[in-house]
Amino acid sequence: MSTSTRPARRQGRNTEADLIAEDLAIEFDDDSSGPPEDRDDHPFTQQRPVIQAVDPKNVCMVVDDASMTYRVRSSTGNNNSGGRISRGLKRITGAGWAEVHALSNLSFIVNRGESVGVIGTNGSGKSTLMKLLTGKVRPTSGEVYATSTPVMLGVNAALVKEISGRENIRLGCLAMGLTPEQTAAKYDQIVEISGLSDALEMPLKTYSSGMSSRLQFAIATSVDPDILLIDEALNTGDAQFRARTKERLDEVRANAGAVFLVSHSLGTIKQMCTRVIWIEQGEMLADGDPQWVCEQYEEYTSHKSNGRTRAAKVVYERTRLRLDPVKIDFTSGSRPKKAGSSRIR
Amino acid sequence: MAAPALERAGGPTESGDARRVAQLDGSNLIRVGARPGLFRYIREIWSFRHFLYYDSHSRVSSANSYDSLGRIWMILNPVLFGTAYFFVFGLLLNTGRGIDNFIGYLIIGVFTFRFFTAAVSGGANAIAGNQKVVQAFNFPRACLVISTTVRELFSSIPMFFVMALLVLSIGDMQLGGAESIPITLTWHWLLFFPCIALALMVMLGWSLALARAVNAHNDVKHLISFSTRILFYTSAVFFSADRYADLGVEWLDTVMSLNPLFCVLDILRHAWLYDGFADPGRWIVLGSWAAGSMVIGFLIFWHGEESYGKER
Repeated sequence: MSTSTRPARRQGRNTEADLIAEDLAIEFDDDSSGPPEDRDDHPFTQQRPVIQAVDPKNVCMVVDDASMTYRVRSSTGNNNSGGRISRGLKRITGAGWAEVHALSNLSFIVNRGESVGVIGTNGSGKSTLMKLLTGKVRPTSGEVYATSTPVMLGVNAALVKEISGRENIRLGCLAMGLTPEQTAAKYDQIVEISGLSDALEMPLKTYSSGMSSRLQFAIATSVDPDILLIDEALNTGDAQFRARTKERLDEVRANAGAVFLVSHSLGTIKQMCTRVIWIEQGEMLADGDPQWVCEQYEEYTSHKSNGRTRAAKVVYERTRLRLDPVKIDFTSGSRPKKAGSSRIR
Repeated sequence: MAAPALERAGGPTESGDARRVAQLDGSNLIRVGARPGLFRYIREIWSFRHFLYYDSHSRVSSANSYDSLGRIWMILNPVLFGTAYFFVFGLLLNTGRGIDNFIGYLIIGVFTFRFFTAAVSGGANAIAGNQKVVQAFNFPRACLVISTTVRELFSSIPMFFVMALLVLSIGDMQLGGAESIPITLTWHWLLFFPCIALALMVMLGWSLALARAVNAHNDVKHLISFSTRILFYTSAVFFSADRYADLGVEWLDTVMSLNPLFCVLDILRHAWLYDGFADPGRWIVLGSWAAGSMVIGFLIFWHGEESYGKER
């Protein structure tokens, strides 16, 4: 591979990355799964962005330059910010703010029919992204748009501990906006999926964590949402439960317009997804073909876990060079403002 | 604390090195998590009425499930407090001087006061204390506050029965030098229902406003328990409102008559203890509080709808 074309391609990029890449003589293969073919490689015009028209009928979800910074109450964190007086005040009250930059400037479009896997090491911002996508939290800047309110299937959300499993099923269904008749109709299916028919009369506080996550899963999957977010925690549970849930999960996935799957299991991701987004340290690092992204991710994590920081950095930069960021532009006046319905169906 | 504006000015910032611009027509899309308009919000609450009812109902039955005496505490609690106040204020401090049927007076005061403050402090905590439910589902958040108030009403029904029984049986007991007027069950007792309905509206309005405040700033909780104390000592729970007039502090009398809880107590006492009507001014003050709190509280809560899922 000749080196002469490379500087032009990566003009305006991180120079440190260039150095490292040059250093280790990394090869770029320009075929397949890389940036789109319509990119202008000419050095003089390549800075001009390519404008692509997107068919609004296909679009399911648009994340427009979303950033998230958490401000949480903390008695220890971040006591160095602010002026002298505010610092003194914090020392006296013991109540300060800690700022956590969880995500920065994320933009992507998801089309109808796509299954998007989201990967990243712990603390990279996956869960934050999921919270933004479900609208539980509004991004500090940027916005998230969709055709309908996405629904998260997770097991981390506990139900009401003091009341029985049976009451929790009814309460959960009603909280999703089902009518009492629909709730009654779904009841047997939920009990069957949860496999908890013996423990239904017991209050939820007597359940083990596995049992309550099964119940939560069964309730959450009783509806067929259009945009579905699946949390990695669904991979927990014993083999028997997993077999039972897989069938239902496939059904829900088949009915959904778009699916997000957060997982640490690359096998699941490769098997289920048509596209993978890799988030690292709050930034999008890759967005594309599952096979390719997963390979990079595997290499990155294996370097990381073996303490080869420099090699990991190389993989990181190499992957980032392939990233093809997109900017969202709504045709004049069509930036969505209206709210979605709280009811699922 | 300002709520986030519905549409941010200026739009998103320019992102650094995007080489692709995707142009699309967003008129079919919604903004995820956006707050619906006021009337649509009310309609959504209506469509979640079954959830609201079931939530309050199921939690009444489990409210005291950690205690071995269970639901008996709902009655035992005000009875114990009433007895304690009777000894402290009635016998030791003798605040009941000049009050006819002081025992009945004190029972109505203590029981109703407990109902009022339990509902308001419960409602104020409805969002902050139910983060798990808020995180898991997408219903309009006002449902949680409303259901807390409804739950408080449900769980107070046995307490109100005990209150009526106590007033009927020992309310007119002869005490010291005070006169006793025999208490009988008349149709005036029915005034209890419109009076409590108006009180519920006041409580709901306050709960809605406080729920948002507590969720945004946990510090408000401390202020609530302080304000509850103040309300207790200024609502004539265990003394007569005439005390202020006797002391010659005119403005305190005015403040008192504008206090919605005092209006509730005064209406109930006139109906139950003295078989008559309270001053019509009390109904006007209470009615205005009910309407005003409902409207203002609801608007405050609705305006913060997008902030309730936030980590604290």
